[in-house]
Amino acid sequence: MIELYVNGVAYQAREEDTVLRVLQREGFDIPTLCYHEALKPFGACRLCLVEVVSGGRSGITASCALPVSQGLSIKLDTPDIVRARKMLLEMYLAEAPQSQQINELAEKYGVTRTRFVHADTSASGSRCVLCGRCVRVCNELLGLGAINYTGRGVSTSISTPWHEASDVCIGCGACAYVCPTGAIEITDLPDLRIMETWQRTALIIRNCKETKQGIATEKGIDLLYKLLPDLPVYLGELSAEARRTFIATGMKLLNRT
Amino acid sequence: MKIRTFFDLERIRAKGISFLFPGKLKISVGMGSCGIAAGADAVYEKLSETMKTVVPEGILNKTGCLGFCGEEPFVNVSMPHKPLVIYHRLLERDVPELLEHVMRGEHYRQKVFCKMDILENFMLPKALRFGDGYPDFPSIHDTPFYSKQKRIVLRESGVIDPESIEEYIAVGGYASLLRVLENGSSEAVVKVIQNSGLRGRGGAGFSTGVKWDIAHKLTSDLKYIICNSDEGNPGAYMNRGEVESDPHMLIEGMIIGGFGIGATDGIVYVRTEYPLVVERLRQALEQARYYGFLGKNICNSSFSFDIHIICGAGSFVCGEETALIASVEGFPGRPRPRPPFPSENGLAGKPTVVNNVETLCNVPVIFAKGAKWYSSIGSESSKGTKVFSLVGDVKHTGLVEVPMGTTLKEIIYDIGGGGIDGRKIKAVQIGGPSGGCIPSHLFDLPVDYESLQGSGAIMGSGGMVVLDEQSCIVDVTKYFLAFTCGESCGKCIPCRRGLEHMLYILDAICDGRGSMEQLAELMEVAEIVRITSLCGMGQAAPNQVISTIRYFKDEYEVHIKERKCPAGVCKSLL
Amino acid sequence: MDKKTSDIVLRYKGQVGGLLCILNEVQETFGYLPKEVLKEIASELAVPLSQLFSSATFYSAFTLKQRGKHAFHICVGTSCHIKKAPDILDEFSRLLKVAPGNTTENDEFSLETVQCIGCCSLAPAIGVDRGVHGHATVDQVPDIIKKYKGTT
Repeated sequence: MIELYVNGVAYQAREEDTVLRVLQREGFDIPTLCYHEALKPFGACRLCLVEVVSGGRSGITASCALPVSQGLSIKLDTPDIVRARKMLLEMYLAEAPQSQQINELAEKYGVTRTRFVHADTSASGSRCVLCGRCVRVCNELLGLGAINYTGRGVSTSISTPWHEASDVCIGCGACAYVCPTGAIEITDLPDLRIMETWQRTALIIRNCKETKQGIATEKGIDLLYKLLPDLPVYLGELSAEARRTFIATGMKLLNRT
Repeated sequence: MKIRTFFDLERIRAKGISFLFPGKLKISVGMGSCGIAAGADAVYEKLSETMKTVVPEGILNKTGCLGFCGEEPFVNVSMPHKPLVIYHRLLERDVPELLEHVMRGEHYRQKVFCKMDILENFMLPKALRFGDGYPDFPSIHDTPFYSKQKRIVLRESGVIDPESIEEYIAVGGYASLLRVLENGSSEAVVKVIQNSGLRGRGGAGFSTGVKWDIAHKLTSDLKYIICNSDEGNPGAYMNRGEVESDPHMLIEGMIIGGFGIGATDGIVYVRTEYPLVVERLRQALEQARYYGFLGKNICNSSFSFDIHIICGAGSFVCGEETALIASVEGFPGRPRPRPPFPSENGLAGKPTVVNNVETLCNVPVIFAKGAKWYSSIGSESSKGTKVFSLVGDVKHTGLVEVPMGTTLKEIIYDIGGGGIDGRKIKAVQIGGPSGGCIPSHLFDLPVDYESLQGSGAIMGSGGMVVLDEQSCIVDVTKYFLAFTCGESCGKCIPCRRGLEHMLYILDAICDGRGSMEQLAELMEVAEIVRITSLCGMGQAAPNQVISTIRYFKDEYEVHIKERKCPAGVCKSLL
Repeated sequence: MDKKTSDIVLRYKGQVGGLLCILNEVQETFGYLPKEVLKEIASELAVPLSQLFSSATFYSAFTLKQRGKHAFHICVGTSCHIKKAPDILDEFSRLLKVAPGNTTENDEFSLETVQCIGCCSLAPAIGVDRGVHGHATVDQVPDIIKKYKGTT
């Protein structure tokens, strides 16, 4: 076990922890956008900033990527960090004015107006903050890479190659699931899932023969079989009840609960 | 043939000496990118054609950059037992006249710049002597441009042929490597560099010895040493000059470094805008392999190592080490959070040391003369010398190498010759887009890492742009903001949106639409971008704004309150 | 895969930094990064196409469209900037009737800016194809264009 200090108070941490994990576990309210527990730390959103006082390279740094070390001492919410966070939120308001989550986050820290101008170049219109969670989940976790960053600087956006409909996307919806700002739109029709944000990539949905409800996309099911060859042979004749059992089995096989 | 012992090296050394001192007339044309752009290739072609008939026994070859780039093209003429005579501003049309003189054993005085009696390159126990004579030609050490320089990195640039490994060996090259491998202790290598006080020459000034030590101590199946030759600072071209003129000093330094940290592979990441660097380096690597300095069991040791070149693709931020690593891995050059530091977890998750070109070029000399000698040069905190590209509104422009601690005044006035056409110098911009402007009344400042940081600029990689009353500080600031904004990778919002906003305000000011409120906002945003950006580029980009508002607020105010540009640069205000 | 592409891939496949080297050579060989070529490379190296497109659109040395027969690279480094490079860029733009970053209608000339070619003592400098013009002036621009017009 490792001991570190937060605002002068000692806390216990595991060797493999990052500072943010400890802070979250201990109930501190640290704002984040790009951090996700299933993904490697990315350090993009700059909201989880803390100040290292001693026991490490001093200065302001992102806690999501800062490993714990014996004797590390950090401060939260210093005047610099409070000021910086407010301006960052002004920037986020200009970046994603239509996002309810961004508006709420900004308001929480007392930011209701922005001096920054929104130049809309992002493919997802006015809700994407380029936190990269969607890219990372699709590339790192699923190993598919249907989407990625394109361009650079203020012209950066997240899109598909040549901004065309994707033949790699399986329509799993993990991107929308992890998006913190509601920037990714999916339309589910009876037989088709349309990934609106990814150039209206359309995926055929397999429906349950019994309940007529959508189970998953055909491409998603193909990938599942590839990853878990021990699954029941045909997925499509399960009742809603059996579907739930099936998913639970699958999760256990994947070693996740 | 593989060189395995000092005896082998001595044989090749003798060969190289016979190239350097062939016992007959030798003409060397300075063929660095600057020289070529000034017309050196035409000079070389003309000499190549006409020497055959006029002086058929004469030898013609290439040399690198002497550093006085404003006086290019340079041509060196060597006659047996006589000092090397260095010609400047020698164009194609001057060749016939030059040969007229030279075939009679004389010199074309009009175009002579200086002579060089000896080459003191610190790599040999005794300096190499060209010869005595020509009392009325000034010695290179007596010329204003060179007298205050101490050329350790540029020790043989512009004298030896960069395309000849034998000439490099003749002036002491690869002896340090042999010594290091014979001694056999990688620990000792790291210790020497730690004791020398060598700090990273790419800009951050981090202790090279500490970086090497961290990687050295880790056990790993793979370890990398990467030479950062991505020199993206506009106005800075030291690394280009260094590699084009003396590629083997970089290679030798890298092999020693590789041995010190236990590297399995070396990579030189060269920016794509430097094709001649790639060409010279590629050729030099092949030569090094031929003699067994790269490959398996180098010089009879158990150390196997090789170096390959990877070209960048036009991205300034790839000069940042985590972005560089991402680029080598096949991704866009977007920086990653540190920690973990590359020395522990870098390329493909393996220990990776990233060093600037100039840092590595210092290594062979440190091993030749010792850490104590090296640390006796420079200032308390900053050891050794630094190469600067002295450019802009100054009389003498080029690559200048001085001991750390030399003052700005000495560099700009004594070496640089002061302002052009008697114009008053206003400031010097140091550190490129991550640096700032230092006003002329502070020119007594010594050039070292801490002093420059304290003044609001940074050492940077060595770009030094002199600005006189015809340059507008606000315009130069806007220029740098436009640069960093265009080079921003876009990953973190403070750099992506913050720099854009700062540029927007500077545009307004230069356009006569600025207000004092906006100036305050500019400072406010600058501060936040500085403390919240993910990487060094974003963190340092506001330095230019912060330093110029600190020292040149009056210039901003004239633009805002009077809608005037005192230097006459901002077009909307004329 | 066409021969040119497979040669390039074979040369660098499996090497550290190989992907970046491949992209550089494709740009050099074809004059841009063709979609079909990148698709083949993605498949051959088992790398997502989106990663290649991400790099293709990130680095300024890469283009998705064919460049002109001749490329004028106007250096806009610091030293060149204070020696009036912007005026030279404007003059090129005016005479070629093309904005920086674009190619003339007849595909003959591309006009681009480059962030420092390292010839700062010869500012302002212009890179043309593989050569460099130092100490350029606005008056020289028409002659420089004329020199390359109609040549390959």
